[in-house]
Formats: sequence, structure tokens, C-alpha cells
Amino acid sequence: MSNPRLSGPSSPRSQPPLRDLLDRHLVIVTGKGGTGKTSVAAALGLRAAARGLRVCVVETGLDEHVPRLVAPDSTPGTPLRPGLESLRIDPYEALAEYLTLQLGVPGLATRVLRNEGFRKLLDAAPGWRELVTLGKVWHLREQGEFDLLLVDAPATGHGLTFLDVPRVVGSAVRAGPLRRHAGWVEEMVRDPQNTVLLPVALAEELPARETAELVTRLREDVGVPVDRVVANAVASPPFPESVADLDVRLGRIDLPASDTRPSSRTLAGCAAHLRSRYELNRAYLEHLREWTALPTIELPLLPEGVTGPADLDLLGRRLLGEAT
Amino acid sequence: MSRAHSPQPAGAARAQAPGASPEAGPEALLRDRRIVVTVGSGGVGKTTLAAAIALSAAREGRRALVITIDPAKRLADALGLGALSGEPRALPADRLAEMGVPAGGGLEAMMLDMKRTFDDLVRRFSPDPAAQERIFANPIYQHVSDALAGSAEYSAMEKVFELSQREDLDLIVLDTPPSKHALDFLEAPERLVGLLDSRVVQVLLHPAFAGARFGFRVFQRGVQQVLRVIERVSGLGFLEDLSEFLLAFEAMSEGFRERARQVEALLFGPQTAFVLAAGPARESVAHATRFLTRLEETGADVAGLVLNRMRTWPSSEPLPEGEPDPAARADLAEALANDANRTGDAPAAGDFDAEAAADAALTLAYGYASMVRRDERETAPLRDRAQRAGCFVRRVAELPRDVHDLEGLDRVAAYVFAGDPERVSDEERAR
Ligand SMILES: Nc1ncnc2c1ncn2[C@@H]1O[C@H](COP(=O)(O)OP(=O)(O)OP(=O)(O)O)[C@@H](O)[C@H]1O
Ligand SMILES: Nc1ncnc2c1ncn2[C@@H]1O[C@H](COP(=O)(O)OP(=O)(O)OP(=O)(O)O)[C@@H](O)[C@H]1O
Ligand SMILES: [Mg+2]
Ligand SMILES: [Mg+2]
Repeated sequence: MSNPRLSGPSSPRSQPPLRDLLDRHLVIVTGKGGTGKTSVAAALGLRAAARGLRVCVVETGLDEHVPRLVAPDSTPGTPLRPGLESLRIDPYEALAEYLTLQLGVPGLATRVLRNEGFRKLLDAAPGWRELVTLGKVWHLREQGEFDLLLVDAPATGHGLTFLDVPRVVGSAVRAGPLRRHAGWVEEMVRDPQNTVLLPVALAEELPARETAELVTRLREDVGVPVDRVVANAVASPPFPESVADLDVRLGRIDLPASDTRPSSRTLAGCAAHLRSRYELNRAYLEHLREWTALPTIELPLLPEGVTGPADLDLLGRRLLGEAT
Repeated sequence: MSRAHSPQPAGAARAQAPGASPEAGPEALLRDRRIVVTVGSGGVGKTTLAAAIALSAAREGRRALVITIDPAKRLADALGLGALSGEPRALPADRLAEMGVPAGGGLEAMMLDMKRTFDDLVRRFSPDPAAQERIFANPIYQHVSDALAGSAEYSAMEKVFELSQREDLDLIVLDTPPSKHALDFLEAPERLVGLLDSRVVQVLLHPAFAGARFGFRVFQRGVQQVLRVIERVSGLGFLEDLSEFLLAFEAMSEGFRERARQVEALLFGPQTAFVLAAGPARESVAHATRFLTRLEETGADVAGLVLNRMRTWPSSEPLPEGEPDPAARADLAEALANDANRTGDAPAAGDFDAEAAADAALTLAYGYASMVRRDERETAPLRDRAQRAGCFVRRVAELPRDVHDLEGLDRVAAYVFAGDPERVSDEERAR
């Protein structure tokens, strides 16, 4: 990390104020499968547009989620909100675009891509999907139509990391435009002024550990700027501190169920369960801070999941430290 | 997508078989199958479930082996996999006894090392040491072999096949990496093999030969265009490297291809069952629904659906609805106040606000009840869908903590195989 101000010690108290998350051109939201990447990207998109930025949420998955989440009633082809658009990058389409630009001959790229052998080669070849996807992001930045691009990156996990790819391709390909372009993309991804990676974790063992590993690797090996981590779906305290040990107290009394109330045993069961989940989350939040040495932004567990724009708005405000 | 080479889609055949029992329970997995594969999207509990299934099989007196991917550290420890291990490890007899495994039953575990695998393949299938060296020295191989689509998956399948030859194993439980594309894991080997058959690759491999053999102008032009485009974009050296890489790779492809076929026959044959894991989050349900369809289309036999981490009511009492009743709050407050006085554990009896405590207890229980209802409601269409397809459906409660140890696995296994005694039945819930 180039900005020493941001890589302070892990104690949350001594953290200097963080730079505004949206104060860059490119935010890449990443994390393990199902942790809430799409929700976070969409939530940031909503808030950024509300601030008057021209924003595009870029999806990289198989299916398109953002339009349905952000604006369930919007018509395809129109902005989701004033200033807010979304786009799903299909790697094959992006490749066709890239080749067309490179070859300068319209039609040739399409023909080549239709070649069955080439398709098979592409199906098995690693890396190019990530590279053309990031290439398309680079292109969007160059075009300057948006102030902010929010990339909903593929789930991390097995195989090459999305952001590692430009570097790897750069070293596997010895010369030529591809190598040069991979270099541009790599530069974009590592630009501490304009780019930031936003890992989304859950406060549980596996996601916390994996996030810590990811952060370390990306920071040290790839050099991608990352200055905070999101801990999503964190349970809130199940009962107020003034009645601490409520589950234990409930466990001691013996009140049978009535028509209008569950038994004390059942109430104790609910309280104990929620307390345990809460404490689990707290423990891994601590670990997450310690392991990543980064500030953690907590997002609340929404009991019903993310059901629509109102939920996203709430998450977005929390992400940006705005009043809710 | 359909699998042209699978003569009979096992799933479809089973669903249509007139005499087939509508639902063979999960116990049948342990008894009748040789291989069980857990599949599902990220973080839903595939690894946990695989371990729980293997443990249950061992307890039934079977000799089981679980191949896991990425277990949480403590779970790995619980399974005796403390140190990374690409070879099966048998749990020692005393440990098995502790786990309630009877004499005759056995449990082995191994962790798939997804990284090291391609080197192994090269070593195994290279015709001679020189070919092996050529591959290892190739820059493309060095940079991308880890990621070459299908290589890790292929190796996993290879391992399963090898283990399936072992006579001293009754059941192999295979955990899979999170998959978005439904069958990535199972289809990748085929893609890898298919790659070598493709014409561009053939031309890259045997330029002169290809020119002579494929005399068609049109085709020629197509291939040349492809090559020219690759060259234009990636520079001169790349095509050479690629060609060399593929050439070396092709040398190993015969053994490869044959093995891929055998593995496929194994996985899509009657001795293998798939168990789909899903969570109650909306995205997870949607994903599992699509996944189920894809699995069926390929002819995989999906035996069951496990809905994991369902928020579950802790007793058989009916779920409360609406708002807590004031009268109900009063007697609860009274009981809590009495308890505080009796135990004297409140700093001072006056400090404990029994009203507030009763309020909090009811609020959290009513809130939790609505989450329980929500999880039931959101998963209902998927459960129906799975049942119609002839799958068993089981719910596993969200447990108070991560599933990291034997005790946790026990509880998961109890939900899958015994049904939890405390589970509220649908009838009760409907009341
Ligand atoms: N704070 C939250 N509280 C409760 N549920 C949440 C929260 N955030 C996300 N979810 C739910 O979790 C599920 C996964 O969220 P989302 O799709 O955003 O994750 P993702 O990381 O993009 O997943 P994938 O890796 O599959 O793309 C969704 O059903 C979503 O509604
Ligand atoms: N029923 C449950 N209650 C509570 N926690 C659970 C339950 N089942 C699994 N877990 C926890 O959820 C996390 C994910 O489980 P697991 O590793 O089995 O999922 P997975 O599908 O294999 O994930 P991945 O896709 O990353 O491989 C683990 O920390 C596990 O302990
Ligand atoms: Mg997503
Ligand atoms: Mg797993």
C-alpha cells in the first residue's frame, strides 16, 4: 500500500479517519461465494447515485442480478435510477469487442469466434475471461462516461484470482499487444489513487480466514490497494445489555407454554441460539481485524435477507458511514 | 445442455420407473451407493455434509472415505487431517471407537490438493521423461497449469477413480468446490480432453499434416484466420509456446481420454448419487433450483436435497404469531423477578428490570419465529421441486456455532439421517 495513513495498526481506536470509499474511480467488490458481494456493489451504487455521481455497477457473473435488486420495475435499457446504470460483462462478447478493435476489420472477430476449434480452445484456456473482463472495465474507464465503476467481481476461491490474471498473462505471453494491454489493466488495478479493492466477508471462520489470506496476498503479491474490509450479515445483540444473561435466566424458570406465549424453555432456546450466533460473529469480527490489520465495516444481518432497494439503501449508508 | 454420450439419463429413468419408491431416504445412500457427491454453491455446507455422511456410514459399520476440499481448520483436525494430506488417512481405532464406529466400520479422510495435481498428471501420463521435461519447461505450462480449466477437476476425478478400485472401501464421499456453473467440476475433464480434438489445436499441433489432410479451402481459411488473430494479439512467441505445450500435452492424451471415459461412466452410473446442498438465502435457493435442473439434464442421479442452516424453532411448540400478549408478558416478568430474587444474582434485586427482560425475551422469540417462517416459506418451492424429482429432502438447523468438531458433525448427521427429534413437523407448524 502506498498510503501509509491507511495501513495503521489493528486497534480500531487508533485508526485515523478512512478516505471516502467512493472517492475513486474504481471499486472492486470481492469475496467468497455468497458473502454479499452483489448486494454490497448494488448498495454502493444506489448511494453513489444519490450523491450525484454517474455510476455503473459492473456484473461479472453468469446471471444479471443488479437491475432486479435495485429497480425491480425498471425497463431494460434505461438507467436504473438517475445516474445509475448496470452492465453485465459477458467474456465472449467482450472478447469479440476487443478483437474487433484490435483487428480493425469488422466481421473477422465474429467469424473467428465462431470457429469451433477456437471455441474449444477458449473453453479450456484459463485467464482470458478475467483479462477481457478487466479489459472491458479499463475501456469503460477510458471512455469516461461514468465517474465511478463498481465491479462485482467473481467469487474468490479456487484457481487464479481475478486480479492476479493480468500479471500472470503478462508473464506467460512474451510480447505483442496482449502483453501491453495486460500491462495497462494491471496498472489500473494497482493504482492506489483511483482503485480500491473491497473484500466482503462474513464473521465466521472460513470466510474470515479466506479474506485474511486474500488481503495478504493481494496486498503483498499483486499490490492492489485495499484499505478496509466489509463484514456482512453480522448479528445484532439479541437482548439489551441491561438484561445480560437473559437466556440463562429464562433457562432457570419453568413456565409452561400458554395460548399466547411459548414456554420459558422455548424462549430460552431462542435466546441462547441468537446469543451464540451473536457471540460467534463478535469473535470472528475480532479475528478479521487482527488477521487483516484493516478496519472492518459491519453490516447488519437483515432477518429477511436483501429484499429490495430499501434494504440496499440501508446497507449503502452503513457502508459509507452515513446517517440511517 | 445434454450429454450426448450418456445413453440413459439416470435421474430421468429413476423418476419414471413405475415401481420406484417415491423417496429413497438418505439411509439408502449409505447402504446402496459406492460414491456420494455433495454439490452446491459457495458456503452452503458441502464439506460439512460430506463429512457427516462419511461419519454416518462408518457408524453403520461401513468402510467409508471422505475426500474434502477446503475444510475449516478445526474440522480438518477433527477428521485427522491436521497436516495437509493428498493421501487417505485412516482414523485410528481408538478414535473411531470414540466416534461410535463399530468394529468393521472404518473412516478415512483425505484432502484434495487442487494445486499440485497437474504435475502429477504430467508425470503419470507422459510417455517418456523427455516429454515430461518439455512440458515442465514450457512457459505456458509454468504460468497457467494450475488454472487450466479442468486440470484440478480432472485430477480429482482421477483420484476418485483410483479409490473406487479399492476393494476395502464401501463408500466414497466426494466434496466439491463451490460451483456456479452447475457441473463445472464434473464437466471440466471432458472439456480438457475435448480441447485436444479440436481442429485449431490439431492444426497447431501438426501444421503440415493438417494442411494436406483438410484440403477444404473454407476450413483452411477459418483456421488460418484463427491463427493469425492469435498471433496478432499475442505476439510471435506465444503461438509457438502454445503449440509446444499442446504437443507435449497431446502425448499424454490417450491415457487421459480413456480415463476420462471411465470416470464418467462411474459418476453417471447407478453406483453414484449426488446430494445437493442449499441454504435458505434467496440467491441460494434460486441457484439450487437451477442446479437441480442442470444435474438432471446431464443424467446425474440426484438422490437428495439438504437444506442447511435453516433457522429452526427450538421446540415442538407452535410458532407464535403477531404481537406478544400483554398478559403473557406479565406472568413471564413475574417469574423472572422471582428468579432474580431467589438466585440473588442481580447486583441488587431492584436493579433487575423484570419487565424489560420479559419484553426482550418475547420480542426476540417473536422475531426469531418470523425468521423461521421466512426460511420455510422461501425454501418451499425448492423442496416441492426436489420432491417431485424423487429426491429426499432434509433440513439441517442452523447450529449455534460453526460445525468444527465431532459433536457438530453428529448434530448435522442427526438432522440428515434421523430427522431431529425436536423438529417441528409441518402439521404442527400449520396449526
Ligand atoms: N446483510 C445481509 N443480511 C441478510 N442477508 C443478506 C445480507 N447480505 C446479503 N444477503 C443475502 O445473502 C445472499 C447472497 O448475497 P449476494 O448475492 O449479494 O452475495 P454474493 O457474494 O454476490 O453471492 P455470489 O457469490 O453467489 O455472487 C442473498 O440472498 C442476499 O439477499
Ligand atoms: N448447520 C450449520 N449450522 C451452523 N454452521 C454451519 C452449518 N453447516 C455448516 N456450517 C458452517 O458454515 C461454514 C461453511 O460450511 P462448509 O465449509 O461445509 O460449506 P461449503 O459449501 O463446503 O463451502 P465452500 O463452498 O466454501 O467449500 C463452515 O464454517 C461450517 O462450520
Ligand atoms: Mg453475486
Ligand atoms: Mg467446502
